[in-house]
Amino acid sequence: MASIQTGVAAVSATDIIENARRLRRETAADVHEVLVEAIYADAARIADRAVARPGRPARPTLDRTLDRILTSRVWGFPIMLLLFALMFWLTIIGSNVPSGMIADQLVGRLWPVLRELATSLGLPWWLKGLLVDGVYLSTAWVISVMLPPMAIFFPLFTLLEDFGYLPRVAFNLDRAFKQVGAHGKQSMSLMMGFGCNAAGVVATRIIDSPRERLLAILTNNFSLCNGRWPTQILIATIFIGSLVPAQWAGLVSAGAVTAVALLGIGFTLAVSWALSRTVLRGEVSAFSLELPPYRPPRFWQTLYTSLIDRTIFVLWRAIVFAVPAGAVIWLSANLNVGGVSLAQYLMHYADPVGVLLGLNGVILLAYIIAIPANEIVIPTVLMLTVLVTGSQGIGEGAGVMFELDSLDATRSLLEAGGWTLLTAVNLMLFSLLHNPCSTTIYTIYKETGSAKWTAVATLLPLALGFAVTFAVATVWRWAS
Amino acid sequence: MSLPFIVSLVIIAALLLWPDSGLVARWRQARVRAARVRREDALKHVLKCEVNGELPTLNSVAGALHIRDGAAADLIADMEAHGLISIGEGRIRLRQPGRELALHIVRAHRLWESYLAEQTGVAEAKWHQLAERKEHQLSPEDADALAARLGNPLHDPHGDTIPAAGADLPADTGRPFSTAPLDTPVLIAHIEDEPEAVYRQIQALGLRPGMKACIFAKEDGCIRFWADGREHNLTPILANNLAYVPLVGTTREDLFDEEFLSELHPGERARMLGLSAACRGAERRRLLDLGFVPGTMIEVELVSPSGDPIAYRVRGTVIALRREQARLIRIGNRETIPTEAVAS
Amino acid sequence: MSEVPNTAIAPPTEACAKCEVYRAANLKKLGVNPGQWDHIVALAGNPNTGKSTVFNALTGLRQHTGNWPGKTVTRAEGGFAYADRRYKIVDLPGTYSLLSTSLDEEVARDFILFGQPDVTVVVVDASRLERNLNLALQVLEITDRAVLCLNLMDEARRHGLTVDDRQLARDLGIPVVPTSARSGEGLPALLQAIADVATGRVVCRPHRLEQEPPAVRAALNELVAQIRRMHPDLPNARWVAMRLLGGDENLAAALQRGELGGQRAQAAVAS
Ligand SMILES: Nc1nc2c(ncn2[C@@H]2O[C@H](COP(=O)(O)OP(=O)(O)O)[C@@H](O)[C@H]2O)c(=O)[nH]1
Ligand SMILES: [Mg+2]
Repeated sequence: MASIQTGVAAVSATDIIENARRLRRETAADVHEVLVEAIYADAARIADRAVARPGRPARPTLDRTLDRILTSRVWGFPIMLLLFALMFWLTIIGSNVPSGMIADQLVGRLWPVLRELATSLGLPWWLKGLLVDGVYLSTAWVISVMLPPMAIFFPLFTLLEDFGYLPRVAFNLDRAFKQVGAHGKQSMSLMMGFGCNAAGVVATRIIDSPRERLLAILTNNFSLCNGRWPTQILIATIFIGSLVPAQWAGLVSAGAVTAVALLGIGFTLAVSWALSRTVLRGEVSAFSLELPPYRPPRFWQTLYTSLIDRTIFVLWRAIVFAVPAGAVIWLSANLNVGGVSLAQYLMHYADPVGVLLGLNGVILLAYIIAIPANEIVIPTVLMLTVLVTGSQGIGEGAGVMFELDSLDATRSLLEAGGWTLLTAVNLMLFSLLHNPCSTTIYTIYKETGSAKWTAVATLLPLALGFAVTFAVATVWRWAS
Repeated sequence: MSLPFIVSLVIIAALLLWPDSGLVARWRQARVRAARVRREDALKHVLKCEVNGELPTLNSVAGALHIRDGAAADLIADMEAHGLISIGEGRIRLRQPGRELALHIVRAHRLWESYLAEQTGVAEAKWHQLAERKEHQLSPEDADALAARLGNPLHDPHGDTIPAAGADLPADTGRPFSTAPLDTPVLIAHIEDEPEAVYRQIQALGLRPGMKACIFAKEDGCIRFWADGREHNLTPILANNLAYVPLVGTTREDLFDEEFLSELHPGERARMLGLSAACRGAERRRLLDLGFVPGTMIEVELVSPSGDPIAYRVRGTVIALRREQARLIRIGNRETIPTEAVAS
Repeated sequence: MSEVPNTAIAPPTEACAKCEVYRAANLKKLGVNPGQWDHIVALAGNPNTGKSTVFNALTGLRQHTGNWPGKTVTRAEGGFAYADRRYKIVDLPGTYSLLSTSLDEEVARDFILFGQPDVTVVVVDASRLERNLNLALQVLEITDRAVLCLNLMDEARRHGLTVDDRQLARDLGIPVVPTSARSGEGLPALLQAIADVATGRVVCRPHRLEQEPPAVRAALNELVAQIRRMHPDLPNARWVAMRLLGGDENLAAALQRGELGGQRAQAAVAS
């Protein structure tokens, strides 16, 4: 019975569709246009009957004044810069002390307890090493390095987002994006990328034109994501902040991080420009952006939700990746090949390349281990450095990731590993310019559906990273 | 003979003769493809002649395809042999398979141009050329899918009708623009995309099908007319690549006083009159959906630091548009907003 | 940023489920996993009108909210139970219209059209009613089971606007509930309205376009008559006709497959 009915329906549906096609050709007017006009006319009539404006509205003028300032010819860009620098500065000065405190607890107190516990349970040395010195320590490290900056940065960013500032940034920056052949909404996905590149890549769906969407996807990695903030902040604080008197250190480090973030935007624009003049040739398409009204954010609620939603989520992800990475690091440091540990063996080969780039073998190896998640770069770097320098006094033997209770200790360790200001600067650059993390790569593949573009998105930043660090190192050495 | 020599010989032979991917096979495929493209182009030409009431001849085929007469004769014979056309009483006529194929090619061409215009950033000057190639690669199913994706457009960016699948091709509308009456607004219905050099010149002037135009002077060697808010000049030869249809209900004054949103200054407001014809497809629908419908009051709300984009207040919302888009929105009744209205 | 993996969504917090408003409203948030459900609710609306905020308040989930259009690009699902019934609720990307086709808007459009929600909640910005009604009226052309959530009332008040929700309800022919989703104001009433429409206690008489545009009237009438002959019970024959005249291939394909709203129900009755 049902099948008969569908059979009949299918035939007459075809009739209807045929007829509709014919009528459509015969109708002179654009149906869509006529329809929208009629609907808007009705909407206006209904809204008019329902809405009254008894009082004089006070707000729109306030909104307007604010908008005039935030997008003004003179103040628009300086305010934008200041706001972002302020965010970084608050993050840097605010996360210093809590980071140390967390490390104190997790590493200073809990770790020895766990070691003893493992010993008293009679675990074999390798299991104890793998679990306590590898897995536990790397996790503890990630938490103490990442939690404080994120717990400060995300709420600040969310406050700006809820206030309605992001669309104004897109509005201010659109001209630049247009000139490089990109879509104005690319600046939205760019800002989402500051949170997480995978989210930024998904956010490019608001861009209609396929060409410009691809541009936005390919360049999203130049937005410094949260996994890389800790690296930037730590290195800037240790090596760059220390170049100036203590009272200026916070400001100067914030300035350095802002500069790297801006450089990322610069690369986004430059790469978009280059791509839209070569492989992704074409003209810019239409752009329309609604600027929503400012909405005073609810401070405490924002604080609470961004802490729960973003911070905990990102932290969780970092921990999930830190666990196996910790195990890998420990294993690579303790598996011996002909008397040399695997890690040392690999670093030996990576070192010449690293030095050429103004980095070192440790950093390169760390970036290979950290492909799953950028968050664990710094812990890995420190652990491997201990291995190389053999600073047994600080760590607890080979392949043990450890926490250094003060920045000074970290600094002296790194300097013992041969680090200079050049290494620091180039590490900050390389952290900006390298392949996206595995989640992002997977997201890019899902969104583009193309292995080719995924490969481009992965290798292009890496190639740029090599080129830029090499250039900086060469110039630096030549100049000094 | 030495072994290396034999090995090289084998490799070279393989490179040349490998079935399907050897050089010889590829060369042969390319030839077959080229022959098919020529055949389809010829069919398209015959179809266009037919609907426009012209007689396709051996010479016209040769001219349209830029081939020698001898080659054209071979081509026609070949098509007849394939049952695509018939030749009787010295006339070339399409047979049913040929007509279907030709219609498909025209449809594919016009759909692809629409696609390039609406969904890619490919420069307008390249549309025709790219579509000339693509039309031979799309299957009827591809064409249907493309049409669905574009919302089944009725006209391509040149103003030509896109035939429905299986439907007939209507004759080109309009008369040569150079013959349009003086001081009377007309509608540009079609812009011929061949020869390409001419087409490029026309499109560089910013002329589009669907635009209103009004000739106000015909001097020798120069037709001066008003369209899209400014004056244009064309030689009669160029002007003949435009076709017009009469326009009712628009006066000369309406046309000359036309203004566009991009000309609106901060502190002014205006009533929207309509979208320019150059605004097509998805972009047009998007603007309509955002509330840019005729009759809407629009005012300038914000100018970005670099002067472009500009944000407009439309039906209670602030929407930023780039200058190119604001150029597509026709406005009227421009006025300065009284200061007390700004305050409230 | 929590758009990407749905794992970003944390389970509902206990604290909120205990607060007064929700106890009074008899609401139980079911998080991502509603299990079996009795009704499907879709959240539609222009971008940035507070859909995700409403969604979060009802399900206890944490979809990304933020003050800029375009942050929701994929659809999210969650559940809640209210007055002994379980609901699956779908948060859709914002759209200005159901007529265009762009990647993010397609998700919303297709769901409202083909997802067959039992209730479509149109979330509108009370301080920009005219613009928002454009979408609401389009939704009403499609479905006669809808609720208007007049959100951001606090903002409208601050701008010195008053909105007569009764007049609006009369004009639109559907329940209209003023809310401020961020502070939870009006959500109990919204839940009640959703339940009323879902269970059929309240029958909507949705507003339909008052005047057919003269330019297309003849064609429209011819097509509507034809569709009515084939599907006498189709609630939105005129809208189908309009879309077919507009060249909407998706809709033509759905008609061909017999998937349009009402058709499925009809088939169920027939078999
Ligand atoms: N003042 C006020 N703000 C709200 C209300 N509902 C939502 N918002 C804010 O409006 C913005 C957009 O909300 P969201 O749920 O993301 O909108 P969506 O795009 O429709 O999903 C967010 O910043 C919310 O915090 C409300 O009732 N009052
Ligand atoms: Mg949302």
